[in-house]
Amino acid sequence: MASIALSISFFVTLASLDTFQQSAGFPGALSTESYHYWMMTVALIVSIVCITNTMLIAVYERYREIGTMKCLGALDRHILMLFLSEAIIEGFIGGAAGLIFGLSLTSIYTVITSGFGALLSAPGHKLLALSLGSILLSLCLSLGGVLYPAYKASRLPPVEALRFEP
Amino acid sequence: MSLDIIIELEDLAKYYTIGGEVIKALDGVNLEIGRGEYLSIVGPSGSGKTTLFNLIGGLDRPTRGRVYIDGVDISRLDAYELAWLRCRKIGYIFQTFNLIPVLTALENVALPTVFAGVPRDEGLRKAEKLLTSVGLGDRLHHKPSELSAGQQQRVAIARAMANDPEIILADEPTGNLDLNTGMEIISLLQGLNKTRGMTLISATHDLKMIKASDRIVYIRDGRIERIERG
Ligand SMILES: Nc1ncnc2c1ncn2[C@@H]1O[C@H](COP(=O)(O)OP(=O)(O)OP(=O)(O)O)[C@@H](O)[C@H]1O
Ligand SMILES: [Mg+2]
Repeated sequence: MASIALSISFFVTLASLDTFQQSAGFPGALSTESYHYWMMTVALIVSIVCITNTMLIAVYERYREIGTMKCLGALDRHILMLFLSEAIIEGFIGGAAGLIFGLSLTSIYTVITSGFGALLSAPGHKLLALSLGSILLSLCLSLGGVLYPAYKASRLPPVEALRFEP
Repeated sequence: MSLDIIIELEDLAKYYTIGGEVIKALDGVNLEIGRGEYLSIVGPSGSGKTTLFNLIGGLDRPTRGRVYIDGVDISRLDAYELAWLRCRKIGYIFQTFNLIPVLTALENVALPTVFAGVPRDEGLRKAEKLLTSVGLGDRLHHKPSELSAGQQQRVAIARAMANDPEIILADEPTGNLDLNTGMEIISLLQGLNKTRGMTLISATHDLKMIKASDRIVYIRDGRIERIERG
């Protein structure tokens, strides 16, 4: 969850900085965009790797739980659903946290560099689109990151999962 | 006669190969278990008790031999049918309770009903009834960590019964409990065996559990050593 929040806040910081700078009338804002895209792409890749890694550890810690559930009659798809729905919840919370953090960061930066006016004159629809976009992105990231670990968890042979001692 | 047999084991064997060395965890077990019977399985550590349970429960595949449940050879079942078997026909009780730590007692007991596709409300109602019947009607919303060991095992027993299984497999159910708590768990299981007619198979070192059972199967090195009437 923390890794999702962090990457989304990074993403939001970059994206909203642009919006605010344009509204503050910085002519250079547009020219930095391609550079921003690069940073975002790197941020996305890093966060996918982070999330997958975090989820793999989470799956590993829950081997016995998974074995128990299979013992109680869980199908592979029940285990898969469990991890996917957790990822959706975590993606949403992480995304929202990252959004709030990122927006606060750029707001503070904008107020310091360009004053309150720039903040207030920032186009609302753009910020809204940014917010929705980043939460959606966060959901996609955490779902994308959890797919392999969840698949792995669902395919665990029950006996091996039960014998596992963390 | 064969109508009364719920489980039949035929030359059942499970070998593990570790570093080129073959470990015979089970080596040719033949056994018929009657419907409603209370069977104790006794043997030293490493004699193959858990392996036997895993094979009966369809959690693992034997190296050789067959397990018949209600006359059906379970090695012929696919993954879906095996899950159905574990869900509806068999209730599993562990030495270490194996409750899901983030779920409440009620949710833990209701979990198998989710896997069985029972509607949520109905599953929760059933879980509440079962928890009340094991004396935990006032602990529905407690997490496992907030319960004593004996209470946790009661929750596990209620969970094992969630889908009204015909067979209860209990692998050293009193192994992690003190004397008195163990006694309570034993009488609870015994009661289920007598009143509900559930077939109860339990692996144990506990003399009190052995005494209460209909038959005692002694195993050693993966083979049946002898069988006694209780
Ligand atoms: N997955 C495995 N890989 C290798 N060897 C195994 C495996 N599972 C069990 N064994 C071996 O099979 C034998 C029987 O093990 P099992 O767990 O069935 O014994 P047990 O009677 O349940 O013992 P305990 O009373 O200690 O629980 C042991 O020698 C064990 O080391
Ligand atoms: Mg064992």
